[in-house]
Amino acid sequence: MSIKFLEPADFSEAITLLSEHADDAKIIAGGTSLVLMLQQKLIAPGVLISLGHVPGYDFIRRDADGLHIGALTKVRDIEHSEIVQNYSPALAYAFRVVGNVRVRNQATIGGNLSTADYAADPPAMLTALDARVQVHGPEKKREIPLSEFFLGFYTTALEPNEILAEIIIPALPASARAAYHKYTSISAEGRPCVAVGAVADFDVDGKCQDLRVAVGAAVETPRRVNSAEALADGHTLTDELVAAIAEEYSRRLEPLSDVRGSAWYRREMIRVFVKRALEEVRDGDR
Amino acid sequence: MAIGESIPMLDSVARVTGAVDYMVNLRLPNMLFGKIVRSQSPHAELLKVDATNALHVPGVVAILTGEDLGANAFYGAAIKDQGVVAVDRVRYVGEPIAAIAAESSEAAEQAALLIDIEYEELPSVFEAKEAIQPGAPALHMKFQNNIFKHAKLRHGDMEAAFAEADEIFEDTFTSPVAQQASLEPHVAAAQWDGTRFTIWTAAQAPFTVRKALSEVFDIPPEAIRVIVPPVGGAYGGKGHIRIEPLVAAMARKTNGRPVKFVLSRAEEFVTVTKHAASITLKTGVKRDGTFTARQVTIYWNGGAYADVSPMLVPAGMVRSVGPYRIPAVHVDSYGVYTNLPPAGAYRGAMSSQTTWAYESQMDIIARRMGWDPLEFRMKNLLVSGEHFATGEELQDVHFMECLEAAAKGLDLPRPPLRAERSTRVIEAGRGPKSKRGRGYGVMMKSTLATSKSQARLKLEEDGTVTLYTSTVEMGQGGHTTMAQITSETLGIPLSAIKIIGPDTALTPFDSTTSASRSTSSMGNAVIAACVIMKKRLFDLSAPLLETPINELQTENGFVVANEVSISFADVLRRNDLQTLEESGEYSTSLGIDPETGQGVATPHWHQGAGAAEVEVDTETGRITILRYAAASFAGRVVNPRLAQLQNDGNVIFGLGPALMEEIVYDGGQATNPNLADYAIPSIRDLPEELTSVCIESEKGEMHGIGEMTLPPVAPAIANAIEAAVGVRIKDLPITAEKILRALRERSEQ
Repeated sequence: MSIKFLEPADFSEAITLLSEHADDAKIIAGGTSLVLMLQQKLIAPGVLISLGHVPGYDFIRRDADGLHIGALTKVRDIEHSEIVQNYSPALAYAFRVVGNVRVRNQATIGGNLSTADYAADPPAMLTALDARVQVHGPEKKREIPLSEFFLGFYTTALEPNEILAEIIIPALPASARAAYHKYTSISAEGRPCVAVGAVADFDVDGKCQDLRVAVGAAVETPRRVNSAEALADGHTLTDELVAAIAEEYSRRLEPLSDVRGSAWYRREMIRVFVKRALEEVRDGDR
Repeated sequence: MAIGESIPMLDSVARVTGAVDYMVNLRLPNMLFGKIVRSQSPHAELLKVDATNALHVPGVVAILTGEDLGANAFYGAAIKDQGVVAVDRVRYVGEPIAAIAAESSEAAEQAALLIDIEYEELPSVFEAKEAIQPGAPALHMKFQNNIFKHAKLRHGDMEAAFAEADEIFEDTFTSPVAQQASLEPHVAAAQWDGTRFTIWTAAQAPFTVRKALSEVFDIPPEAIRVIVPPVGGAYGGKGHIRIEPLVAAMARKTNGRPVKFVLSRAEEFVTVTKHAASITLKTGVKRDGTFTARQVTIYWNGGAYADVSPMLVPAGMVRSVGPYRIPAVHVDSYGVYTNLPPAGAYRGAMSSQTTWAYESQMDIIARRMGWDPLEFRMKNLLVSGEHFATGEELQDVHFMECLEAAAKGLDLPRPPLRAERSTRVIEAGRGPKSKRGRGYGVMMKSTLATSKSQARLKLEEDGTVTLYTSTVEMGQGGHTTMAQITSETLGIPLSAIKIIGPDTALTPFDSTTSASRSTSSMGNAVIAACVIMKKRLFDLSAPLLETPINELQTENGFVVANEVSISFADVLRRNDLQTLEESGEYSTSLGIDPETGQGVATPHWHQGAGAAEVEVDTETGRITILRYAAASFAGRVVNPRLAQLQNDGNVIFGLGPALMEEIVYDGGQATNPNLADYAIPSIRDLPEELTSVCIESEKGEMHGIGEMTLPPVAPAIANAIEAAVGVRIKDLPITAEKILRALRERSEQ
């Protein structure tokens, strides 16, 4: 039985086709995750709806709202975008460390997020940046904060007839600094064992305002720990405070086990890399 | 002088641009597509294999099951225990149960889902040491304790020798199951013509394939033609028959239509693996730093079928002792069945596992007894004229030079390191609490004791030469090497040489392209053919040039004397010859006694060394290899650039089993049979600085260098880690998690 390969000419046709074929269909954009899943027979759709010929969703722009990235934008283009670089070098970096250059030339940001693979790079950084996604369905468009978008392993809040269209990353104050730490425990080109995205703003006295740290890859979906973030409010990020926040993350999260590390090891690494990300946010230039 | 020149590989551009005709691109007229249906159980009786529904799928032409097989349908290099497809019983997850030939791969895939298989599960066992215990499930009737091979080496009086020792060290080192992971998978196509057939296969040993298939199908070897197109990497994984019997058996059912099978990456992981091994070394040492005795006990996990293991288990025995002066040595090397996929050779066969053991223990001993690990090795390394544990006298031995060259590589002035240059990116593994250390490793490996190579040269009418050789070009530059040897020996430009082969219908016999033997063995066969060809040319041209034969030479495609010369083409023309053919042969016939391991294990010894400088991040356990320097003994280098690439490539390859490669099983089912979860080294895993050298000797014999710098990688790194942070890892791969765990355990003590 061969898979039917459909190539809609625009986004609304893609949504119509998706509604028609419902559970039997999968959306394919860059294909870097989906084709692997097909090969490993983890999924067996009857229909593939390709977004390869859909125009208008490959863009990066910045306005007062923040940064807007079209779902069909290649990871490689985001990595190299001056707009993204100017917005936050850490965000560009989170795309630069995805897979390898072959993957980045092919993979799209929409595909990356819609797949909801726990061992992916950008989700933790985007979650820390309070990003949200705009999704299009047959009747309406809606926005979902990333913190509510990832529901579990390979599971998102997308309805069966909805397609992710755009990622919106809120504007950052000029005084804010961000950092992304990808830790690969095996091969340098491997997927992350632990991923940490951190963002903080600082007042004129260097006191921390609005710290947001998201941990990915070690847990099912990117997680923030509010009790840990709150420790930083109005305080200077001393080594002791950084260690306390890192400890809180390590303690509160329930890490998973896989070939890249046991739960024990990941708990240890969450502590190390939350600490290192916070130190970079504290000491870095942006 | 073509030998010693750094010319590029003859097909390098084609390989890089994708123009090479790999097997995966092969399309034969009227070709069918094959698909294998595999066991989902690690050990079970097959109650039913029903292909009825699958046969109804449109496009399906034929289906092969155990019912089709005759009594001969079992194969194996020494023990014929493996069915062409499973008959009555399956013994590992992934074992072929049926095969489908269809008009399209989609039809074959769909039919595969409709083969009705019923299993009755049997108890299974996955670890060699568990499989030999009383009461463990027996995989094969003939081997109730699951030990299918026990190789023994007995040299010297162990009891007396251990009694002389001041200290006795006993350590066990393990290696997990890994995979050769060549970029090109196993791929083959077969087509029958009455009682004969042709098989196209990406294999390292076409004549081994032919012989084995002639036994499976009970037809003469000459009725089988084996053609090997350029191969996309093999690393031992294609050294014996693997999918060929199934492919040929399938093709026998399609009325003369060819059938082609291309394995997926997941199938690669269940087709052949690197032996998991548990190696215990008991070593007696005197206070003066000399050895008295070594007892080695090895359990090789052979998987469910013996495959080539009955040959590799004795080879691994010889390769487990190490290149040191040890008066008394006993080795017991056991090949054990388990319910995992069959294991085979893995680049430097068995030496990755054995060198990991003996070179790790060298540092354990040196550190405990207070010696510098480098000096301790130098003091004990074997030299020419000494005897090895097999009793044979060693010649052309250069272990010390190899180690010295590798160690010196770390002392050269160092360019700024990548991470130090980088301003923003904090590389994983380069934390603030990092420590550095250096470590070393030496390897000693036999090649095939008994093997043969033949080469045939054909001088064409236009003065060019065609070399017919069954050496497989698999990316190592084997054909380039043979062209250079031909060019130099025959006195003809490289551009006038064409190479054909392997094709058993056209090219003469060769044992195998493996064990780094081709440059030496096939190279000498080519030289022999060239020498005879030259003599013929002299005989034919002496009268024409009116010069005595002993004053003639060849140069650049001409026979030359002092004043006169004649082109090879003119020699033929003036003698009214259209072509001229000559053959050459080289063989060795050595071996060791099966009961004592005494004798001559190899025509020459493979020798290599490595030196590593690593940085350990003590917060994560992650290591960065700052520098790695390698050395191999080459005798005489045919192509310096390709030789260096082999050395460097071996180190890079060796980083895999050292640091990351391990097939993880859950109930016999691999959980990471893909290259996203089974990591192999990427370009970003390379040492920040990698150097290598080839050692040449006055004797100038050409040695192979396809494996020598690989086995020292893992122990050199482990030794460097101990030098840096004081922890000893004994189980491969050396992961960050293991290092961190060891650091924690040490600090808790």
